[in-house]
Amino acid sequence: MITQEPVIVIDKLEKSYGKIQAVRGISMSVERSEIFGFLGPNGAGKTTTIRCMLDVIRPSAGTIRVLGMNAQRDKLAMHQHIGYLPGDVRLPGTMTGKQVIDYFSRLQGLEPVLLNDLIARFDVEIKRPMKSYSKGMRQKIGIVLAFMCDPEVLILDEPSSGLDPLLQKVFNEFLLEEQARGKTIFMSSHIMSEVEKVCHRVAVIRKGELVTVEEVEALREKAGQRVTVEFGDAVTEEELARIPGVNMVRKSNSSFHFNVRGSMDPLIKALSQHEVARLQAEEAPLEEVFLKFYEEPEKATATKQ
Amino acid sequence: MATTTIPKSIPVPKKRAQGLTVMVRTIINARTPLAMGCFYGALIALLSAAIYPAMSQVNVGAYLSSSFVSGLVGAHLTNFSAFPTILGLELYSSFDSLLFGGILAWIGAAALPLTIENGTIDLALSRPISRTRYYLESWLAVLICGAIIGLVIVFAVWIDTLIVKNADINWQWLWITQLVQWAFMFFAAGLGLFFGSFFNASRAAGGAAVGIIALGYLIQTFGTLSDKFSWLLKIGPFYYAPATDPLINHQLTWWYPWVLVVVGLVLGVVGLVVFNKRDLPSV
Repeated sequence: MITQEPVIVIDKLEKSYGKIQAVRGISMSVERSEIFGFLGPNGAGKTTTIRCMLDVIRPSAGTIRVLGMNAQRDKLAMHQHIGYLPGDVRLPGTMTGKQVIDYFSRLQGLEPVLLNDLIARFDVEIKRPMKSYSKGMRQKIGIVLAFMCDPEVLILDEPSSGLDPLLQKVFNEFLLEEQARGKTIFMSSHIMSEVEKVCHRVAVIRKGELVTVEEVEALREKAGQRVTVEFGDAVTEEELARIPGVNMVRKSNSSFHFNVRGSMDPLIKALSQHEVARLQAEEAPLEEVFLKFYEEPEKATATKQ
Repeated sequence: MATTTIPKSIPVPKKRAQGLTVMVRTIINARTPLAMGCFYGALIALLSAAIYPAMSQVNVGAYLSSSFVSGLVGAHLTNFSAFPTILGLELYSSFDSLLFGGILAWIGAAALPLTIENGTIDLALSRPISRTRYYLESWLAVLICGAIIGLVIVFAVWIDTLIVKNADINWQWLWITQLVQWAFMFFAAGLGLFFGSFFNASRAAGGAAVGIIALGYLIQTFGTLSDKFSWLLKIGPFYYAPATDPLINHQLTWWYPWVLVVVGLVLGVVGLVVFNKRDLPSV
């Protein structure tokens, strides 16, 4: 299917439950072969947005288009090209993994061409009844169900929840391979470190409102570098804070800790004026930037009060 | 952990017939109440044959012909020593409509909420299958459950004829009797699907649907107590399922079962509209 517009287009999406507005006019788009992260804390509206995309719940306003098809009007045609992983994979306890796979492959109307590869890659057990599966094992079955018919677009709601770190790594590698094969992946998460490894861009949602849509690289630049310096001579916090790009200066024992945004050159030049006993620089975790998107409006409100 | 990679050339997935996958799964999900319905149907039919020799010797005419008992069984009984009368009393009375209708109402009401509870509805509806199809396949499954229960009952009656000498069953009227019972089951299925279309919990939906059937049975019994309450009869479903009459008296008001079919159909269609419009809850 060839479409001019982005693979996923969400336009002014709103969803209310009575007086509660779960999603407030969010708009964003996802390009072909992109892994797009949809970040937000619990209850921010991520799952509501995803369930609107699948027409399991109906938007109060706005439209969603996937592969050029309207998510409500053309949903049957659209669903032929979609793989979906729910946030909490719950399946009938009496069905075996094999029965579950057969059931959903039939509903998809397609042979599960990737089944054997997925079972081997994720070491999936399919002979036991679902009631004997742990959360992680059910999550693996959920991943198999989403990918087995080789769909063009993947909608994944917190895909790595329940996976151990080793399997998370395998899953991230798999996502990158799928992206290389031309698949478009929309994945939600509430953990930045989880999506930064695979996503090109991320959208951050907070209390139903879109806070930002940015490239992960841009976020990295915003996060800057975390620097620790130990001086052999006397230096004050104020002096360090005056260096362009330096912020959040803090002293503990004989060391200074601060963040540097942008070029390191002004810092290096400033440090050369002093005796530096120890210098350590590392990328600041994106989690800090991510948390700021939530904290700042609340802090602003608190300040006003 | 295996370290395979997805092969570079993956064949385009071949199409696979969807078939009536949801229907089959709904029947499997309903296997316990379905088995109960079949078991009770067969048991009551076979017990009828077992107790027939004793019952045919007991003079229960005065008791069974009272209006109260007529209300309980749904028909005025005559010729108490004939096997069809015992069979009608035990297997096709209003009480049996309550039992089998209640089971069908439960199956119908639980069909959709059960898939909300077990988490399959989100995954199913994210596939190329419409809500209308999902609902209709569920409805068809419930009707098939009713058909299976009815066929088991008829088969058990046939076994009765091997046990009871001179059973004197008129098979044409037995099938008509069974059709009346199926009409009641059709109504119960529609009622169940209607409740299942807006409930999220299978037990709550099943309880509500069975409650309505039980209320209908109470209306039936109160309506027969006095002429003052005879209007109650006509607003309850049991009035339109006089299953004992065709078996024993070989008579039937032909449009009565159609009332049940039409009401069941209307309830089912209203349920379909509700199910299509509503937001489905997350598990």
